[in-house]
Amino acid sequence: MFSLIENEVIKMISKKRLLFVIAILVALISVFAYGQHHSSERIKTQLSQRMGISATTDWHKLADQQLIELKNRLDSPYRDEKDKSALRVRIEQLQYNLDNDINPLEQSAAKFTTKFMEQSIFLFLPLLIIMLASDMVSGESSSGTIKLLLVRNVPRWKVLLSKFLTLIMLEIIVLFFAFVLSEIISGLFFGFGGWNAPVATGFKLVAGKLDTSSVLNVPQWRYTLMVYSLAFFVSFVVGSISFMISVLVRSTAASIGIIMSTLVAGNFISYFLSDWKITRYMFMVNLRLTDYLSGSFQPIEGMTLLFSILVLLGWASASIIISFVYFTKKDILV
Amino acid sequence: MFKKSMWYSILVIAFVGFVILANGFYQAILVTTQANPQPTSESAPLESAADLTPSSKNPNTIQMLILGDSVAKGTGDEKSKGFSGYLSEYLKNNTSKEIIADNAGIDGLESTGLLEQLQSHRLEEQLTHTDIILVSIGGNDIRSILTLNSFDKENEFKVRLDRYLSNLKLTFKELRRTNPNSIIIFLGLYNPYEKATNLVDSQLLNSWNFNTQQLVETDGKAIFIPTYDLFKYNTERFVAQDGLHPNSAGYQAISNRISRSLEMIIAGL
Amino acid sequence: MPQTPVLELTNLRKTIKGKDIVKGINLTLHPSQIFGFLGPNGAGKTTTIRMIVGLIKPTEGSVKICGYSVAREFVKALSNVGCIIESPDMYQYLTGMENLLQFAAMNKAISQQRIKDVIEMVGLQHRVNDKVSTYSLGMRQRLGIAQAIISKPKLLILDEPTNGLDPAGITEFRNLIRKLAYDEGMTVFVSSHILLEIQQMCDIVSIIKQGSVVKTANIQDLLQDNDKIEWQLSDPETAISLLREHWNIQASQLKKNTISANIGPHPLDKLNEFLISEGLALTYCSATRNTLEDLFLDLTVGDEIV
Ligand SMILES: Nc1ncnc2c1ncn2[C@@H]1O[C@H](COP(=O)(O)OP(=O)(O)O)[C@@H](O)[C@H]1O
Ligand SMILES: [Mg+2]
Repeated sequence: MFSLIENEVIKMISKKRLLFVIAILVALISVFAYGQHHSSERIKTQLSQRMGISATTDWHKLADQQLIELKNRLDSPYRDEKDKSALRVRIEQLQYNLDNDINPLEQSAAKFTTKFMEQSIFLFLPLLIIMLASDMVSGESSSGTIKLLLVRNVPRWKVLLSKFLTLIMLEIIVLFFAFVLSEIISGLFFGFGGWNAPVATGFKLVAGKLDTSSVLNVPQWRYTLMVYSLAFFVSFVVGSISFMISVLVRSTAASIGIIMSTLVAGNFISYFLSDWKITRYMFMVNLRLTDYLSGSFQPIEGMTLLFSILVLLGWASASIIISFVYFTKKDILV
Repeated sequence: MFKKSMWYSILVIAFVGFVILANGFYQAILVTTQANPQPTSESAPLESAADLTPSSKNPNTIQMLILGDSVAKGTGDEKSKGFSGYLSEYLKNNTSKEIIADNAGIDGLESTGLLEQLQSHRLEEQLTHTDIILVSIGGNDIRSILTLNSFDKENEFKVRLDRYLSNLKLTFKELRRTNPNSIIIFLGLYNPYEKATNLVDSQLLNSWNFNTQQLVETDGKAIFIPTYDLFKYNTERFVAQDGLHPNSAGYQAISNRISRSLEMIIAGL
Repeated sequence: MPQTPVLELTNLRKTIKGKDIVKGINLTLHPSQIFGFLGPNGAGKTTTIRMIVGLIKPTEGSVKICGYSVAREFVKALSNVGCIIESPDMYQYLTGMENLLQFAAMNKAISQQRIKDVIEMVGLQHRVNDKVSTYSLGMRQRLGIAQAIISKPKLLILDEPTNGLDPAGITEFRNLIRKLAYDEGMTVFVSSHILLEIQQMCDIVSIIKQGSVVKTANIQDLLQDNDKIEWQLSDPETAISLLREHWNIQASQLKKNTISANIGPHPLDKLNEFLISEGLALTYCSATRNTLEDLFLDLTVGDEIV
């Protein structure tokens, strides 16, 4: 089994597909980092024009005032207990910024690395995974080499399993490079720190509304870890589905086309038909898992992180089962 | 061999990565499903403030309830008096009446929040007994628009204004349901960034004030107190360090206006 | 026979989309034979081979390799097979060596030494570190054979192996196959639509036509019992009727004074004596050795080329 996986990885390296994916990552991250740098500069100048203060030097004063204001609010007897934990979390963050002399208006590599994955998780990351996964089986079908693989003294399910495990490894490698590259590239723009800054998370949905009562601060590195873990899960699901299509379809181009159009269509569907109940069981609308962490999701009744994970898990396991059943039974006629 | 060593690095990264990511995945599920591990609050909510206010009806005391945002609350006043302080000072000096004020102002409150606050009936008790209701709201509704770039500003403004006005309508309805007789004093908005403001922003703010006033006037016992003119050439003098809220002098100036406008009525209460 | 057959096909059938492509093939191969599977294009050779190596499932019937059923004991059965099917498709983006390493990795029993030996056997030692995409068809064919024999299989299956090779390449290839069969003791199963190939290479041949085997025989036997004789003599008509009446031989007139006939087991000297004794003037007599070709054409006549 081990040597089968090694075979697959060596093929993947030689095919240069992985290299291509990494090149895309480098290009995109550089563009994003530059854009972020640019827009944060612009915000700062706007701020200083409007308020007559300089965001780079006077932020202490601003933060101090905001802190006092927040504390006042927290003391208000008319405030809901629910809102208060959100306030406390905000106060903690500001206090941290003041204590550690971190300008909250400044970007950091840590923030960027996280933001990048949060923005990539529903479209860009899946596209990269699709590029790798769609070729795994159909590539061998179209080149005819599948014949050579399946006439060895190795059962078919083992051949397929080795390919699937290789795919999972490659998903991790893609995330690894996404992380390392965005850390390095954005670090050049914004500096390399920021891994201990507190980030608010723990939002919940109660009766159709965002519930902030259990909000808490976690250090940035832990938050980033959670974001990348969810991204890995998304990669796993999208990878499994495109793997299945790669098994079912003989041409790589067709299998990339099918899964990509599904994905893009999913983004439209969630936009236009968000009140149509069945759409929530489609995998494409459940990909924005990190939104549950940051609390930036559209509160839709019944949709929670656990729900989305279960829906995605359902899709992944169905895909895997179909892949294996079909692959071990099908006639190879290429 | 190059490919061989690459395979080993990939293997190690993938294995270590998997362990780390699996752990992170578990944490992510935990954090969004579990209750807050931090101690939620020090004690039970301090709702008792309402019960402390005497509901006795003394002919020489005037009950006042202050509702709305940070301006209602008195944020920015370095003497921490706020409207209730300045108004009662004035009454003490000029009439025999005394003011007992309840301040339910909340920093950052928007019109939606005010409506919710009223609909939750938490202020029912104070509302029924009050003689004067002072409302300051809307500043936070409009504030975030002014920082938008001018492209989508006007559209967004219309949307906000509509929402604000409908909230306001319901707010008045709610107030009048509980207390049909009290006098409602409604504060207009001023522009704290007078120096850095362009013409469009001023027009938007004026249009906001104008629409608000129209609506306030439909209630028979309400008065709209403008503040725009008061602050226009006095931002240096009246705006606090934070560049947003009135300072002590600013609160004093607004309070003077209110007192003048209501002198006769208050005297008759 | 004491030995288990290397390959045993029992009533093998395949129907694809309602079309009978292989219609019940029975076949038994014994060790160290070179077997030729001869048939025109579209006869069902490749389909049969695919069923043998388990790429497609037979609609009916069974395949046994060295006594193991392909359907039930796939791994054991396939441990004894090496094959090239249709064309030697390799990973174009890997070198020849990397390709072989891929297949070697799938079978623990293959040593580094074996890989080296195989490369030398097929004569690829100079180009083995180049990418396959730079190979000529002949080199790919060699690499295909290398991957097929790398695990020392008992049964080597080659589907149309000489397709696209030039005459020199074909001769070279034929010698290679012969050598493998004798040196490594492999049983070789070669399919082809080219008669000469089979004739020159194989010990046994089966002729397949539209999915059915129409004849299976030892090549030597086929060649012998089809000796054809030509006589040049004075009175062809009389000779034809005499041969029919007295020897039950069907002769036919070829040219003005020439007749020809398959004489089967009858001795030629007796026949000549007879003809002369009947008063015919015999000027010339020759035995033209019938190649398989006539048989092949006879047996497959009317078959469309697909
Ligand atoms: N996938 C398929 N679907 C339908 N018919 C097929 C398929 N593959 C092959 N055939 C038909 O089966 C017959 C035998 O094909 P094949 O075994 O490749 O012939 P050979 O190898 O002897 O030239 C041909 O008539 C071909 O058209
Ligand atoms: Mg063929």
